[in-house]
Amino acid sequence: MLSAEKLSKAVNGPDGVLTILDDVSLSVEHGASLAIIGASGSGKTTLLGLLAGLDRPSSGTVSLAGESLGTLDEEARARVRRRMVGFVFQSFHLLPALNAEENVMLPLELEGRDDARERAASALADVGLGKRLHHYPHQLSGGEQQRVALARAFVHRPRLLFADEPTGNLDQRTGAAVSDLLFSLNREHQTTLVLVSHDPVLASRCARSLRLRDGRVVEDHS
Amino acid sequence: MKPLVFAARSLRREFRHGELATLAAALVLAVAALTAVGTLASRVESAILASASELLGGDLGVNAPRAALPDTFSSEAARLGLASSRSVEFSSVVFAGENSRFSEVRAVDTDFPLRGKLVVADAQGTHRERRAPASGEVYVDRAVLAALAAKVGGNLQLGGRDLKISGEIISAPGAAVFQFAPTVLMNRGDAESSGLLGIGSRARYRVLVAGEADAVSDYAEWARAHLPATASISTVADAQANLRTSFERGENFLRLAALLAALLSGIAVALAAQRFSRRKTEEVALLRCLGASRNEIVLALVLELALLALPACALGALLGLGMQQAAFLLASPLLGGFTPPIPPAPATSAFAMGLAVLFGFSMPPLLRLRDVEPMRVFRRDLPARVRRFDALYLVPFVVAALLIVLESGSSNLAGVLAGALLAVAVVTVLMTLVLLRLLRAGGKRVSGAWRFGLANLNRRRALTLIQVGALALSLTALDLLAVVGPSLLERWRADLPVDTPNYFAINLQAGQREDFEQRLVALGADNLSLLPMAAGKLVAINGKPVRASEDEKDSRANNWIEGEVRVSWSATLPPSNRLIEGIWHDDRATGAQLSVDKSWVEIFHLKLGDSMTLRFGDEELTAKINSVREVDWDSFRVNFFMMLDPAHAQALPHSLISSFHLPVQAAGLSTLSRDMPNLSLIDVNSILDRVRDIINRVSAAVTWVLGFSLAAGVLVLLAALAATAEERRFEIALLRTLGAHSRQLNAAVLGEFAALGLLAGLVAASGAAGAGFALARSVFRMPDYWPPFATLGLIALASAIVVMLAGLAGTRRIARTPPMLVLRRGT
Repeated sequence: MLSAEKLSKAVNGPDGVLTILDDVSLSVEHGASLAIIGASGSGKTTLLGLLAGLDRPSSGTVSLAGESLGTLDEEARARVRRRMVGFVFQSFHLLPALNAEENVMLPLELEGRDDARERAASALADVGLGKRLHHYPHQLSGGEQQRVALARAFVHRPRLLFADEPTGNLDQRTGAAVSDLLFSLNREHQTTLVLVSHDPVLASRCARSLRLRDGRVVEDHS
Repeated sequence: MKPLVFAARSLRREFRHGELATLAAALVLAVAALTAVGTLASRVESAILASASELLGGDLGVNAPRAALPDTFSSEAARLGLASSRSVEFSSVVFAGENSRFSEVRAVDTDFPLRGKLVVADAQGTHRERRAPASGEVYVDRAVLAALAAKVGGNLQLGGRDLKISGEIISAPGAAVFQFAPTVLMNRGDAESSGLLGIGSRARYRVLVAGEADAVSDYAEWARAHLPATASISTVADAQANLRTSFERGENFLRLAALLAALLSGIAVALAAQRFSRRKTEEVALLRCLGASRNEIVLALVLELALLALPACALGALLGLGMQQAAFLLASPLLGGFTPPIPPAPATSAFAMGLAVLFGFSMPPLLRLRDVEPMRVFRRDLPARVRRFDALYLVPFVVAALLIVLESGSSNLAGVLAGALLAVAVVTVLMTLVLLRLLRAGGKRVSGAWRFGLANLNRRRALTLIQVGALALSLTALDLLAVVGPSLLERWRADLPVDTPNYFAINLQAGQREDFEQRLVALGADNLSLLPMAAGKLVAINGKPVRASEDEKDSRANNWIEGEVRVSWSATLPPSNRLIEGIWHDDRATGAQLSVDKSWVEIFHLKLGDSMTLRFGDEELTAKINSVREVDWDSFRVNFFMMLDPAHAQALPHSLISSFHLPVQAAGLSTLSRDMPNLSLIDVNSILDRVRDIINRVSAAVTWVLGFSLAAGVLVLLAALAATAEERRFEIALLRTLGAHSRQLNAAVLGEFAALGLLAGLVAASGAAGAGFALARSVFRMPDYWPPFATLGLIALASAIVVMLAGLAGTRRIARTPPMLVLRRGT
C-alpha cells in the first residue's frame, strides 16, 4: 500500500546543510498499522509529510497505492491525497469559521459530492457527536474537537490515514478515548494507518513500530 | 470540487462568522463614498453650470459678426427640440430732447431670455421679471436714464424711431461683464425696421439655444460643422471669462474631495483584504493537505470574493445614492434651487471602481496563497511567503493610479496627489524602518508593558509597515480634507475682499486727474487705481504684418487683429500682475519695451525679444517684448494685456481708466458723473455679487462634500484601527492568562499605538502641507497660499492621540473576551 525507498531530507540551516531524515526505507501493507516513534526533533513529522506527499524528499522515492509520488507534480499529488488519504493532526486543524458538520463536509465538498451533508452528519454520529453538529470548534472541548477531526478524516473513506500525534494535545483519559475511537474506525474502514507519536502506549497499539533518532531508523519492531 | 458551490458555501459560513464582514463593510463604504461624492459633485457641477446658463442667457450661443446667421441655425434647434432666441448687438447714439448718449444696444426677440431672469423696474421702482420689450418699447439701464435725464415712462429716439422707455434694467442675462457703454434693450423687430442694421453696421449677431443636455451637445456638433467663417460658439463654460476660474476651482475642490474619499476607502479595502488573506493561510494549507489543487483554491477564492463584491458594491451604490440625495437636499437651497437629475455614471463607475479596488488590493495576497506549503499544517513556522517579489504587488498601485487619473479629470490634480501620496508612503516606510531599528537597539531600556508593546511592532515588521503606511496615507487624506481643503476655500473666499473695486471710470482726461482723485476721496472711495489707456491697432509682429486669417485655429487671435487693442503703461508692476518671465523695465534699453500677458504668448506664439508694432492714429510704435506677466483677471482691477514703458508711451494720445471701491449706498457719484460728462462710470456691483454668490454656493457645496468625505474617512480609519487591534487579540489573551491587569494591557497597547500614530501623524501632516502647497499653485492658482502649519502640527498630535484611543477602544473589546475563548480559537 505504502512504501518508501532510501528517503532523505536535508535543508539549508544557519550552520550549513542540516540532514533531517537520512536513508529511511519502509513499506506498509494494506490494512496494516505503523507507528513512527521518537523524541522531538527526530524527524517523525518530516517523514509523515514525505509519506503523505506533502513535501518532496531530497532523495529517495515514495510509492502510494502503486503511484510513485516522485514522478507526480504537486497538483497530481493533491489529487492522490484527495482520493486516498485522510489526516488527523495534533492541533486538530478545524476551521474556526465552520461548525462541526461543515468541517466534516470539507473533504466531500472537495470531491464535489452532493450528499456531503448527510454523510458528514452520519460520520459525526459515528464519533458520538450527532447532537453537536452545529457547534463551532471554540464551543467544543479538545476531545470533541479531535473527534470531529476523526470524523473528517474517515468521512470520505480514505485507504490510508496519517495521524500526527493525535492525542498529543489531550489529557490521558480523553487521549485514550480518542485513540480507542481511532483504532475502532480504522478496523471498521479497513484503513491503512500511519501514526506518529512519542507516546509508547499509543504506538504499541499499532502492529508495527519504527523508532527514529536523528533522522535514522534505529529500531523496527513488529 | 465544484468551485462555485464551494465558494458560495465558504462565503456564507465565513460571513456568518464575521470573517468577511470587515471586508464587506469596507467595500460598501468605499462604493458608497465614491457614489455619494461622485454623484453629489456631478450634480453640484450641473447646478453650477445651470446657474452659469443664466449668465449666458441660454445653454449655448452661436455668435457671428456683421451678418446674421442663416435660418438653419434656428430650424436645426427646433428639429432637436431646443428653444432658440436670436439677438443682435450694436452701438448707437440715443437721444432724448437735447441730451444724447452713446449706447450699447441689444435687440432681442420675444423668447428672450431662454435662461435666467430679466428683471426690470417700472416707473414706481417695483422690480418685476419681464420678457423682451414689446415693439415700440425699450428697457434701459440707470446710466442711460441719468445721461438722458429721462424717466421710465418717457421716450427716447434711436435710429430715427421714437421708443417708449417702459422699464429700467435691474439685471439681464447675457450681458458682457465689462461694457464700455450703457445698455439699451429693444425689440429685434424694431431694430430691423429702423434701418440700424444696414450694410456697414458693426452689429454682432447671436443665436442662443436651450434645452436637454444631449440635444444641446448634438446642436453644438452640428453648429461646429456649419459655422460660417467668422462665427464662433460660446458655451456656458466660457460665457463669462471672469467666472471661469470660480467654476474651475469649485470643480477641482469637488474632485479632490471625491478622490480622497475613494483613496481612503481603497486603503480600508486593502487592509481588510490583507487581513482576510492572512487568516486564510491556515485554511489554504489544510485544503491543500486534503487534496485541493492550487487552481481550485485560487478559483474558489476569486469566486468567493466576486460573490461578496457584487452585492456589496450594489449595496454601497444604493447607500451612496441615498446619502448624496440627503446631502443634496440640504445643500440645494445654496445652489439656487436647481435640482439636476441623478446621473447614472458616478454610481456605475463607483461600482466598477469598487470591484477594481477589491480585486486590485486583495488579489496579490490571495494569489500568494497558491504557494502555501501543505506542510504548514504540521509546522506553522514555515514561511507563508514563497516569492519575495511578485509583479502582482504592482496591481494595487496601478489601481490607485488609475483611480487618481480617472477621478481627477486634471493632470495637475492627479500629479500632485499621486506625488504627495507616493512621497508619504516612501517616507513612512523609511522612517518606520529607522524607528524599528532604534527600538530594537534602545527598547530594552523601556519598562515592562511598554516594552512588550514596542517589541510587538518589531516582531510584526511587515504588518507594522503596512499598518503605518495605511495609517499615514489615510491621515494625509484626512488632513487634506479637514485642514488643507477648508483653508484653501478660505483663501478663495478672500479673493474678493470687501474693498474689491466695484466701479470703473473710463474716458478720464489727464487734466481731470487731480480733481477726480480728490472728489473720490471725499466720497469715501478706497482702493483707487488709475492707469493711462491708449487705443491702438496691432499691425505687425517681428516686422511681419498681421492679418486675420480664416484658417486661424485660434479665433482669439483674429479678434485681437480685427479689433482695437488697449494698452497702458506704468513705472511699476501693477498689483494683481505677476512677472513670470523677463524683467519689468530695463533702464539700459533704448527702444520701447513691452510686457504682455501670458495668454498672448500662446495666442501669437511669442517669445522674449520679439517685437510688436502698434498703430495709434497715424503713429506707429514698435516695442520689444521684455517681460511676460500672469494677470489675475478675477481681481476686478484695471488690467491690460499689453503694457508699455512710460518713457516711450506717455506721449501717445490717451485717456485714463480708474477702478475704485465705493460703498454701494454712497451718494454723490451721479454728481461726479454730471460734473465730468465725458466720464463713463461702469458699475460692476452686480457682477461682483454674482462672483461672490458663486464662490459662496460652490464653497457651501464643497464644505458638504469635504465633510462627507471626512466622515467616511474617519469611519475607514476607525475600522482599520479596529482591525489592527484585532490582530493583537492572541497576545492580549496570553498576557491576561499570565495575569496582566488591565492597566498593563492598556500600557502595552498605548505604547504600540502611540508610536504608530505619532509617526504616521507627523508624516501625514507634512505630506498634506506639501500637497496643499502644490495644489494651491498648480491646481487652484493661488500662488500666495501657505498651508496652516500650526494647525497641521496640532492635527499631527491629535492624530496620535486619536490613533491611541481608537487602538485602545478596539483592544478593550478584545480584552473583555474571556482569554480561554481566544486561546482556544488560536491566533
